[in-house]
Amino acid sequence: MGFLFDGLDAEQYDRSYSDGDLVRRILGYFRPQARKMGVAAAMIASAALLDAGIPIFIARSIDTLRADTTFSRIALTALALAALGATSWVFNLVRQTLAAQAVGDVVLKMREDACDSVLRRDMSFYDQYASGKIVSRVTSDTAAFSQVMNLSMELLSRLLLVFALVGYLATVSLKLTGILLALAPLIVGTALAFRAIARRTITASRRMNAEVSSHVQETVSGIGVAKTFRQEPAIYAEFINVNRQSQRVNQRTRYVFSSIFPILNIIAGMGTAALVYVGGLDVRGGVITAGTWFLFIQGLQSIWFPLTSIASFWSQFQIGLAAGERVFGLIDAEPRVVQSDSVQLPALRGEIQFAGVDFHYKEEEQVLKDFSLHIRAGETLALVGHTGSGKSSIAKLVARFYEFQGGQIRIDGEDIRRLDLESYRSRLGMVTQSPFLFDGSVRENIRYGRPDATDAEVLAAARHVGGDEWVAALPRGLDTQVGERGAGLSMGQRQLVALARVLLQDPAIIILDEATASVDPLTEVLIQEGLDTVLAGRTAIVIAHRLSTVRHANRIIVLRKGAIIEQGGHDSLLAAGGHYAELYNTYFRHQSLEYIEQARKAA
Amino acid sequence: MAQRSEFTAPNAYTYDQRSAPRWVFSHIRRYWYFALGFYFFFLIAWSCYAGAQVLIGRAVDEIISPSGPSGLMIITLVILSVMVGDGLSGLLGSLSAESVAARFEADARQELYESLLSKSKGFHDRQRAGDIMARATDDTSQLSHMIAPGGTLVSETVMGIVIPLTYIAFIRLELLLVPLCFVAAYIVTARAYMGRLNPVIRDQRDQFGVMNAGLEETISGIEVVKASAREGFERAKFRRNARLFRDFFVRQGYIEARYLPLLIYGVALGLSFLHAMLLYRQGSIQIGQVIAVVGLVNVLRFPTFISIFAFSLLQSGTASANRILKIVRAETDLDENSGGHAAQMRGEIVFEGVSFGYEEAGGGRQEAGSDPSLLPPASRVLEDISFRIAAGQTVAIVGQTGSGKSALTQLVNRTYDVSAGRVLVDGVDVREWSMDSLRSQIGKIEQDIFLFSRSIADNIAFGAPDAGRERVIAAAQAAQAHDFISAFPDGYDTVVGERGMTLSGGQRQRIALARAFLSDPRILILDDSTSAIDSATEDQIQQAIRKAQEGRTVLLITHRISQIRWADLILVLEGGRITAAGSHEELLDSSPHYRRIFARYDDKGTGDRGQGTANSGQGTGSAIPNDKGTANSGQGADSAIPNDKGTANSGQGTGSAIPTIAEVPA
Repeated sequence: MGFLFDGLDAEQYDRSYSDGDLVRRILGYFRPQARKMGVAAAMIASAALLDAGIPIFIARSIDTLRADTTFSRIALTALALAALGATSWVFNLVRQTLAAQAVGDVVLKMREDACDSVLRRDMSFYDQYASGKIVSRVTSDTAAFSQVMNLSMELLSRLLLVFALVGYLATVSLKLTGILLALAPLIVGTALAFRAIARRTITASRRMNAEVSSHVQETVSGIGVAKTFRQEPAIYAEFINVNRQSQRVNQRTRYVFSSIFPILNIIAGMGTAALVYVGGLDVRGGVITAGTWFLFIQGLQSIWFPLTSIASFWSQFQIGLAAGERVFGLIDAEPRVVQSDSVQLPALRGEIQFAGVDFHYKEEEQVLKDFSLHIRAGETLALVGHTGSGKSSIAKLVARFYEFQGGQIRIDGEDIRRLDLESYRSRLGMVTQSPFLFDGSVRENIRYGRPDATDAEVLAAARHVGGDEWVAALPRGLDTQVGERGAGLSMGQRQLVALARVLLQDPAIIILDEATASVDPLTEVLIQEGLDTVLAGRTAIVIAHRLSTVRHANRIIVLRKGAIIEQGGHDSLLAAGGHYAELYNTYFRHQSLEYIEQARKAA
Repeated sequence: MAQRSEFTAPNAYTYDQRSAPRWVFSHIRRYWYFALGFYFFFLIAWSCYAGAQVLIGRAVDEIISPSGPSGLMIITLVILSVMVGDGLSGLLGSLSAESVAARFEADARQELYESLLSKSKGFHDRQRAGDIMARATDDTSQLSHMIAPGGTLVSETVMGIVIPLTYIAFIRLELLLVPLCFVAAYIVTARAYMGRLNPVIRDQRDQFGVMNAGLEETISGIEVVKASAREGFERAKFRRNARLFRDFFVRQGYIEARYLPLLIYGVALGLSFLHAMLLYRQGSIQIGQVIAVVGLVNVLRFPTFISIFAFSLLQSGTASANRILKIVRAETDLDENSGGHAAQMRGEIVFEGVSFGYEEAGGGRQEAGSDPSLLPPASRVLEDISFRIAAGQTVAIVGQTGSGKSALTQLVNRTYDVSAGRVLVDGVDVREWSMDSLRSQIGKIEQDIFLFSRSIADNIAFGAPDAGRERVIAAAQAAQAHDFISAFPDGYDTVVGERGMTLSGGQRQRIALARAFLSDPRILILDDSTSAIDSATEDQIQQAIRKAQEGRTVLLITHRISQIRWADLILVLEGGRITAAGSHEELLDSSPHYRRIFARYDDKGTGDRGQGTANSGQGTGSAIPNDKGTANSGQGADSAIPNDKGTANSGQGTGSAIPTIAEVPA
């Protein structure tokens, strides 16, 4: 029903594909379905012809109907009419079945291609787009595209019906067809005008609804505060105000939307009256028969509704094309990280060498310039520096998440660009600030990087990072469900699961971005001790936020604007009174025992 | 039924909340004149529309055998006026229906909102904000769709069938035979169709959700996926989901293609025509009436084909009505107790054998609360808790997430009521207190601090709207917030929150502290679980909290070692029980677990990291600071003196030492 007002949201998207390119791409996906689509098209045309035939057939039968028409003739007429309807139904059945298969397969193929392409991308892609946007390209945009395919077929069949009927009518009476066609621009014009008004009111409605939502959102989130301070009447008064406004705006939109069909009905009524009178005179004059006269009146009723859908089709079609384009844009883009070879390192030792590396995320912001660093196998290296000093970039380059622009990174002496990424990364462990867990059990999460690990190995890994107590504290042990993104576990528990996951992978290189989000002191002790275990005997790059980690590192690298400005041990760096001492005062001082003991005095 | 309530809206209209249909009806009844208008105008509209078909039949007779020179003109004008009448009354009827729909949406939202305000704080703590949001916006708009076009189309279906059939009956009663059979067959086949289609659509929608959520998860965790080289696994997962979705999609097309009512309609049209022609041959009816019958059967097309859509709108509207009613009707479990104890509070808090579980306390929890699977099965959050806090003391509550820290504080301001035992404030059971008096003297700062989208000044003065600017500034200064607020271009008039400036956690916390200073509660509950990343902010928060402790009782949920270290009493919670309680010095002696925390902080003794990182708990845990001798010392770095006694205690426990349950002082 809302057909006429669909697609009011159509926006202008940046089109980077020409219409020709886009249509070629779409046809490419439909090529394997050519047979099905061909048959479906033939069915659409045939069904439209049959449907147009029904009123014509009725009209002709009325003309030949006499008081002395034989029963068998009448029965034959009725039978033929029913057969016309039934045949058209069968054609539609075949068409819809085939179209559903074809469109389903095309969308499936597009989704698979889009998903493959997404997974091939390097991290720069994921930094650029929010996950929701990517997902909606793969799932919703493809769905929007398929909807337009269905819509187009539907519209095509209706318009074919209109053309077939009008074509026939024109052969019978040009004058009456002229009256009929004179109504067409009136109907389409009115529909378009209403769409223009509707677009305005619906924008206002949408803005108002957003306001109501945000008001409710805010007060519902703040209701605790309001209750603590007993301020309910104040927020209630505000709500009443917003709610009233929203009622007014929504009512206006509803009025606009519900007025269109009655008004189109009036137009159609005027057309009908004109046909009744002019056609009636023609019947009397013997120019046309009574059946033909009736056919025109019926014809008007069957063409005006399809005509209104023309008004909304174009913008819906544009939405579909734009959706298709976004999907193709996703599929076609090339990842920036490309491996030139697939060298398998027999046993990764974990020696890492940066030699004159240049790196930036964006052209205008150089992150690393001619950066060199040698990390010995088995060394624990702490990176410290202000935000933006390049700490994380170094870690991410080791993980080969990004392409760098100059110099070389060598792992065990081999160019990182020539490594087989899958085998390299399987020996690489990474724990981020807010560790990501997949919905499932703790056990499944620990096993994620090594699906073939036995239950005993999983348990051993879990015990190794945090002792027995944290596993015992989980409501169902390792079978505890972690919930969406691990929300069912505390931050500390999530970190322990992530550590166990990495430990089970037995990585030669560990990259650790220490959490700044605080956990309770008891859990923190567990995590710290777990970390010590995990880091032992492996090359570790730690982006350090905790004083204790910094102190435990074999070497501290002090970074500023992508350059190493100091390095050494904690005590000597602190004594030197340079940049590290400054960082210590900014980030680490309050973690020291001295600070804790002084806390009361400081106030 | 006597609903216990925390808020009553002035002059609220009361609706019948006994069941969803009654409730919807009582909302419509409020605007009975619009509803009546809709039926009045639509009866006219449908009578006109179907009547036009009869008139067209008349016109044929008039054309073939003219009654007079202007007969055709007259009937044309009648047809025109009837069709214009159809349009106009349709328009008026639609406007009436839309007026009800728009008002229903707003009224239902208001009713929901009023009921939300009347619910207890405990009720709101159990709700997810997103869930309530969905009900206040999506469900209410679903309700309006239920009225228009849902309810109107259902009414139109009935009118659009009954009125043409009546006309047919007037032409010739026996002509009803085929249309009646059609309507019966239509009802049967359409129901069967819905029965087949609905589950597939539901499966398809669910599968779309699964596919979406699966991919969303993969992409959110892409670092883990890539770092673990598991792209292949994730790809296969998505393909499986997408293929399943495709199968449901094809299945839906397959069912839709077999929409029987359309076939039956085609046959019915043929049969009606046959019937009319036979009657014409017998001479029972005229040619114009044959045409009228065909026209009237054509009219049936619209109502029968729109009804499926209309009924599905009614269905989803009823579901929405039920969801809203569930919230509206949920009993709020605490009441204002406005006649209760009201007095100036001193701030002494006593817990006597307190046990608490959410299930027993919350009436509406099951249906509306958060995912129950996340709670331990027994749902006993606190077990036999006893302690005493003297007025003016500061208590640090330490424990893992889920150990019951928040629940413990929620019992003090009656966010929840205890399941067993008693909570006493100034020697009076909190249930005896007037809620207004109790809550107005207990301040609470949550971990996730909520600020309204208003100016900073308004946020600080939220609990005391008539406080002047000087008092606001004074409060901000005490909370160490004045400096950063003054640094904003608009100062205290800076708008914060969702639609304004984004503040850091530390800044929000200090604004909340300022808010608390202004309302000057006797007891302050402070959930201070977020830690500052830099030392300067830490300094300021320390100072602000220190200031807040002056002259009031403070319950502190904190991860800050420095706060724990200096609290008057430390409660260590594990699994809802107090496993250790006492001052810092006492706990260092009695709790090995507590000792381990501090062990981490003293590396002075072990110093250089020559021995690597492998020796986990052993090396680092060996030196325990003892501040017994240094408690009053101010000489900085020297204050941490390793204690040999500690070494002996924790040496054997290399990471797996299970804390012994310490005696809780009765």
